[in-house]
Amino acid sequence: MGLITAMVTFWLITLVVFILVNRGIWVFTDVSKSMSLFMLEKALGPPIDFVDGKKGSASTTWILQGTLWIIPASLVTFCGLWLSHDPQALHSLTAWGLNPVSTSLTTSGILIAVYGSMGMLLIGSSMHIVPELGATSLATEKNATLMSFVWTLAVIVMFVGANKPEIAGISVMPIATILTNLVLLAVIVNMLLTAASRTRKMPLPAWMMIIGMISAPISILSLALTGSLDSGSGQWLATRFSGTTFFLMVSGAILYGSSRGSGNPLWSRSLAAVTMAGAIISINPAGLIEGDIASDFLGIETATFEPTRNDIVAGSFLLALSLIPIIALSANVLATMRGDDVFMENPDSPGMPEINLAAFMAVPVAIGGLFVHTDYITGTNELTGIHTSLVLLGLWVVFIPASLGAALSIFPEVSGRNMLSINRSRWAFWLMAGGAFSGLVFTMMADFSDMALIEAAVEEENSTANRVRVLGSVLFYGTVIGSVYHSLNMISGTFRGALASEEQNISSTSISSPYMLTKETTVRKILAQREGKLDTVVVPESSTELPGSATEI
Amino acid sequence: MSDEESTLIGEFLQGEGEPSSSWVMLVMGFVSTIVFLVLYGILFPSSDLPVISSVLPVFDGVFDSGIWFFILGAMIGIFAILGTMLTEATSE
Repeated sequence: MGLITAMVTFWLITLVVFILVNRGIWVFTDVSKSMSLFMLEKALGPPIDFVDGKKGSASTTWILQGTLWIIPASLVTFCGLWLSHDPQALHSLTAWGLNPVSTSLTTSGILIAVYGSMGMLLIGSSMHIVPELGATSLATEKNATLMSFVWTLAVIVMFVGANKPEIAGISVMPIATILTNLVLLAVIVNMLLTAASRTRKMPLPAWMMIIGMISAPISILSLALTGSLDSGSGQWLATRFSGTTFFLMVSGAILYGSSRGSGNPLWSRSLAAVTMAGAIISINPAGLIEGDIASDFLGIETATFEPTRNDIVAGSFLLALSLIPIIALSANVLATMRGDDVFMENPDSPGMPEINLAAFMAVPVAIGGLFVHTDYITGTNELTGIHTSLVLLGLWVVFIPASLGAALSIFPEVSGRNMLSINRSRWAFWLMAGGAFSGLVFTMMADFSDMALIEAAVEEENSTANRVRVLGSVLFYGTVIGSVYHSLNMISGTFRGALASEEQNISSTSISSPYMLTKETTVRKILAQREGKLDTVVVPESSTELPGSATEI
Repeated sequence: MSDEESTLIGEFLQGEGEPSSSWVMLVMGFVSTIVFLVLYGILFPSSDLPVISSVLPVFDGVFDSGIWFFILGAMIGIFAILGTMLTEATSE
């Protein structure tokens, strides 16, 4: 079946699941809730007692591990970039039976960054955002904490699989798929139980995170039902769907993070709705262009990409459509962070610079991705030479900063302590952002140079491009140092960081209530809000109804 | 145990009172190492350094690319994180 049939199936299943999650499953709701909770905790036996079940522990564990994964992700990517101009640089590792090459290192770097860093940071953030916005608590902290370690194991297996696809005749990647899906299933059930116990209407960012997670199994189910999995178009679409999953989760995280960190209400709920609906309807341009990675994960044979004319038309249209939710998200986040003037609120608040960078870069990177994907789907293949650099750029200046920024903004609340040093956070941001942007832009320049020479059929080695690649990889090293700085800051912060006070803990929820003051403000700013009137009653959250009394001296 | 006693033990174990001139010992150690190496080269010009000369060939062919210096830097960073975790977890 064609691409559009698979997409329609995906839309329908997502709609049905969304309705079921909202309305419950008739008389089976209570039974399924208690059964699911039993499966998540008691059914696991003794292992569940190894982990802590106090509030915020699950989120903290996921976020800490996600931050630590940024170091190997950036280091492996750096090695991949280096080997692209010096293929023999790591040849001494052959003594240990390892034969690293640029392509496998770059792919494994992307996988670690996506599943290790981004995945863990986003899941960790969702474990705080969903209960917080639903005014409830996470269904089971213990299971969520335990699952983080299984996920980490899955990422290690993924790294091995990307560099050594078969060990003793067994494909490694499907093992990673089984492990990640096992964890994802537990996390989804946990999130659904949490959503079921909500005590108020949940704002869209929480739904984005939940639907983002659920869209992963739904997408594979849709492709399996329509029989597209063994076709090139189906495998290409499977890779695109993973972009949808992460885009939805990132959207929810940064919409929440931007509001929480800046203390401003979400600029537009309509734009948030457009982001969510648009992400589901369109085809996301994020991620690798080939479907090979999807077939590797599923352990099926890679099919040749031979789209029909209808597939090309539908695919190009839905790819172009994806710009709408991306622009909506970018505009909403940037406007939320700025409030009523052009300056970013609370620029020193943890995670704010990262979210700002991601929101800025999302649109240009998405346009670049759209060009490359359209070029690939139409079979022109003139721009495919830059696709790896573009994927890396999207990852390191949009997705990683966005997920890290959101995680940083909620970390003080879940761990109970602030980052150790704001100054070190600033250094880490500049090193990561500067290293990734400049390094990958130089690498892309070298890609363009190579493409031009290939087109001109020049057979000699392109020494200029190689020199630029050296510069690109060395600059990218800033990202490695930045990630070490961030990790050190976070780890030291959990031990010695300033205590996040009770007042700060209650704060904000500016998404649902615009006039909860979290910091000092001016009357001009309050009046400049959309509904700000002179008779607006401003009530700081720490106020009390108790009658006053004389101060004792 | 009295507060005074525990403070004394703490100072003894953690060595908080670092002598202000302790850096002199470090500099003297560094200078004497260099002097020893130079003297060894003058006195036994054709002989390799004992122990070190037999260890170095193990790394032959390893550090033949600049990437290793970057990897070394990252390893220092990773060990800094491990060190931070250990010291933060064990400090009072």
